[in-house]
Amino acid sequence: MTGPWAEALPWVIALPLVGAALTPAVAVRRPRAAGFWAWGVLLVTAVLAAGLVSELLARGPFSYELGGWPAAYGIELRFDHFSAWVLPLALLFVVIVPFSWRYLDHVMPDERRPPFYALLLLNAGGMIGFCVTGDLFNLFVFTEVVSLSSYALVAVGGRGLAAFAALKYLFIGAVSSLLMLFATAQLFVLTGSLNMAEVSLRLAEVGGGTAVMVAFAAYAVSFMVKAAMFPVHVWLPDAHAIAPSPVSAVLSGMVVKVGIVGMLRVYQIYYGAEVLELGAFNLALVWLGAVSIVMGAFFAIFQDDIKLMLAYSTISNIGYIVLGLGLASPYAVIGASVHVFNHALIKATLFLAAGSIIHQTGFRTLSDLRGVARAMPQTSAAMAIGAVSIVGLPPTAGFVCKWYIALGAFEANQAPFGFALVFGALFIFIYYIRMLNAFYFQKPVHAAVAQASETPWSMRGPVVLLASLCLILGVLGGIPLTFVEPAVLDLLPLWGP
Amino acid sequence: MEVVDVRPILAPFVSFLCAGLVFGFGRSIFWRRFFTFLAAFIKVALVLSMLPGTLQGVVYVYQFVEFTPGIGIGFRADAYGMFFALVSSTLWVFTTIYAIGYMRGDRDRVRFFGFFALCVSTTVGVAFAENLLTFFLFYETLTLCTYPLVVHAETPEALRAGRIYLTYTLIGGGFALVGAVMTLNAAGTLTLAQPGILGLESGVATLAVIFLCLIIGFGVKAAIMPLHGWLPIAMVAPTPVSALLHAVAVVKVGAFGVTRVIYNVFGVELLQQLGFATPLALLAGFTIVAASTIALTQDHLKRRLAYSTISQLSYIVLGAALLTPLAATAAVLHIANQAFAKITMFFVVGAITRTTGKKYVSEIDGIAARMPWSMAAFTIASLSFVGVPLTAGFITKWYLALGALQADAWWFVLVLIASSLLNAGYFFPILHRAYFRPAKEPWPPLEPGRRFEMPKTLLIPIVICAAYVLLLGVTAEVPGMPFSVAQVAVEGFFAPPGIGP
Repeated sequence: MTGPWAEALPWVIALPLVGAALTPAVAVRRPRAAGFWAWGVLLVTAVLAAGLVSELLARGPFSYELGGWPAAYGIELRFDHFSAWVLPLALLFVVIVPFSWRYLDHVMPDERRPPFYALLLLNAGGMIGFCVTGDLFNLFVFTEVVSLSSYALVAVGGRGLAAFAALKYLFIGAVSSLLMLFATAQLFVLTGSLNMAEVSLRLAEVGGGTAVMVAFAAYAVSFMVKAAMFPVHVWLPDAHAIAPSPVSAVLSGMVVKVGIVGMLRVYQIYYGAEVLELGAFNLALVWLGAVSIVMGAFFAIFQDDIKLMLAYSTISNIGYIVLGLGLASPYAVIGASVHVFNHALIKATLFLAAGSIIHQTGFRTLSDLRGVARAMPQTSAAMAIGAVSIVGLPPTAGFVCKWYIALGAFEANQAPFGFALVFGALFIFIYYIRMLNAFYFQKPVHAAVAQASETPWSMRGPVVLLASLCLILGVLGGIPLTFVEPAVLDLLPLWGP
Repeated sequence: MEVVDVRPILAPFVSFLCAGLVFGFGRSIFWRRFFTFLAAFIKVALVLSMLPGTLQGVVYVYQFVEFTPGIGIGFRADAYGMFFALVSSTLWVFTTIYAIGYMRGDRDRVRFFGFFALCVSTTVGVAFAENLLTFFLFYETLTLCTYPLVVHAETPEALRAGRIYLTYTLIGGGFALVGAVMTLNAAGTLTLAQPGILGLESGVATLAVIFLCLIIGFGVKAAIMPLHGWLPIAMVAPTPVSALLHAVAVVKVGAFGVTRVIYNVFGVELLQQLGFATPLALLAGFTIVAASTIALTQDHLKRRLAYSTISQLSYIVLGAALLTPLAATAAVLHIANQAFAKITMFFVVGAITRTTGKKYVSEIDGIAARMPWSMAAFTIASLSFVGVPLTAGFITKWYLALGALQADAWWFVLVLIASSLLNAGYFFPILHRAYFRPAKEPWPPLEPGRRFEMPKTLLIPIVICAAYVLLLGVTAEVPGMPFSVAQVAVEGFFAPPGIGP
């Protein structure tokens, strides 16, 4: 029994992809129209996503069979609680795109806008498809859509370093994609199916064995690269720092989460099948997560470029999420899943605010940007809220995940990791307090900084909105739990630490 | 009896709103003052309007939102919370008057008054926190909101002080968070409405870690030695900030947290079985004597007051750690007694610096002739700290001594006597210099057309606070005075478990 919204499931993927294809045609006479077109497409996508989520809340997970072919044979799209991530994803795009309208003036000539927005729509469509597909091969296809559009988006800034960063991203990303393709093929050979639910069922019959384990390991490594875990993070900092700020917000906030959501999907398959004892793997994840938190913070301390600082903090935050997943206790996994969204929100706030500051002043290092808060009070306040939030101090969105994961660590009797989490986060604050001191409490060194004006409203509005959300979600921390809790509780009975 | 009422959340919200308005419209001096005063008076009125109910044992509660399943952001105005809220909201009014006079012509007053209001908002939020999570949320927010006030001068020295302040308090906050999380794991709840939520079944080792984490977490702000390092350094902040935050709000939030941990998280009975409170009491006793001894050697006026604060705060910790009703009464009372006396002193020292530019004890010979009202107020406050009868400090010492005897811990009475002597040792030389030494050089004359020694905005709060110190000492037993509220609070701590206050 499905409601009318279930029919919208293929459209939520098709709309941004078709929109992307049409962008150059729509904007053929007026390149600047591409931005509005992309925004309109994403807005409709977000409405569809909201409809899907309402359907999910009313009737639980549902499927759509493409072309009417039943699951196992045809292509199945499946909308479960983890898929609900498409709604915040689409909404974040809807907020980020208006910011890019004016921002791109300084980044690229007008005639390059249509391909830029086409890539952005492809990226969004790829991520949405990734979240709702029920089929392993399509999981790979959508990963590639996301990855390829991301490489191009990094290069779009156009300077020499951008091309280099994009190339580095591409090489490492390609290895990761190959691993994923290999694992998918492996599972297909073992089970004769590509449908996730079917694969899980048949894996149980196949039983354990090296081949099953190798497939799992290949998936795990592939998704860790995508999520930029330490030590396979090397592609991330340059790519995220050099890309135009709206792109950085998308990449750092959402694209790295492809790795996390992918990991959750693989967990669903393997836990359902109960073929592997994953305790050792989880323990490795916990350690890697803890190391990522500390190393991300450690690298960030030496950065003077604000966007590089933010890029490194992504590594720390992915560390939280992975630590939570590895702890494998209900609260920890809930915290990790909530942080998938909260981190996207916080990181979008920070990158857009940093982008505004760079856009208005032309400087991007801490030592040059001293005293900028007096010239740009609202943007700086957003930056400050984002900074407090990413460190996980109350009353902001970042605290919610820290609270749950710490709770989960003690629940799983892993007290040392609870301490590591809480105090590792404080370590991160060292570099953010440097930033806040520079912005607020030091004298400007450049006249351009002292005389900078606030951004136009199309840029300031999104920044202020996102920063307010960081505060609101810190107090109303229970909201994301509506989606996350049922999903995690479904997954966890099978989940042994 | 619990009554659902919106006032416990309105009280912190009023100053939160005020902060927003000050940030938004604060460039105009008129609106800045208007909003600040309006919010200060509304807040006092809100808190006072709950007082009659509190004295009859009514507890006002308000659940705001669910944060974790079962644990929401909740507000609960019990007698102890009311006591703390009364003190901080009353003092906000006086400090606002004083700050307007003191900060006249200073830089960045919008930021100053905005964050000032935020700090008061969070302090009352702490006072009315229904559970440890809400408490922690406000506790950490307070840390962040005080940072811009500490570094207000933006000098390298101020920034260094700010860094040290944040390092201490945020690490402390981390411990408090771990403690809260472990408490939730062990007890399944975080409520502060019960006289103790933990039980022996959690295991002594776990309980010890929880106790240590929570006491370190809140002890940082309560400046229990050796966690006190930030406090003297943070005295670089403008005097109204030192006065309200480092003698009242920040440090008292820490002391308030320690007492909540002892009485509402662990509970008297459990702590008596475990015996964790004795080392804490010893540490507090040590802090009282050691901090006072260091204060003897300080020539900088504000630093001398800072060490005196460290010593006085441990009275509260000691009173709580003795686990007897009379000592608990002293602990609760001392929150008000120390606050009014110490704020008087800070006001006076700030006024001296503002009027004459002097900052050191050795520079103020004969100042009583120039500033008679201030020095009279300072004298009253000093007598209170020494514990002379008819002042507020005497009441604390009396109950603390009785409480120590009730706990069969007679040596703490010796600590108290030593502390009184030391207090006299570092306050009376100031008085001696001010009254009996001839001035080294003539004091700057009164500005023409002025009747009193300094602007009235500075003088009025000083006089009122000093008078209140006397009033607290003389009329302790009058119903409606803080003493009666403290008694209701203490009854709650020692109620049999399960029934609740």
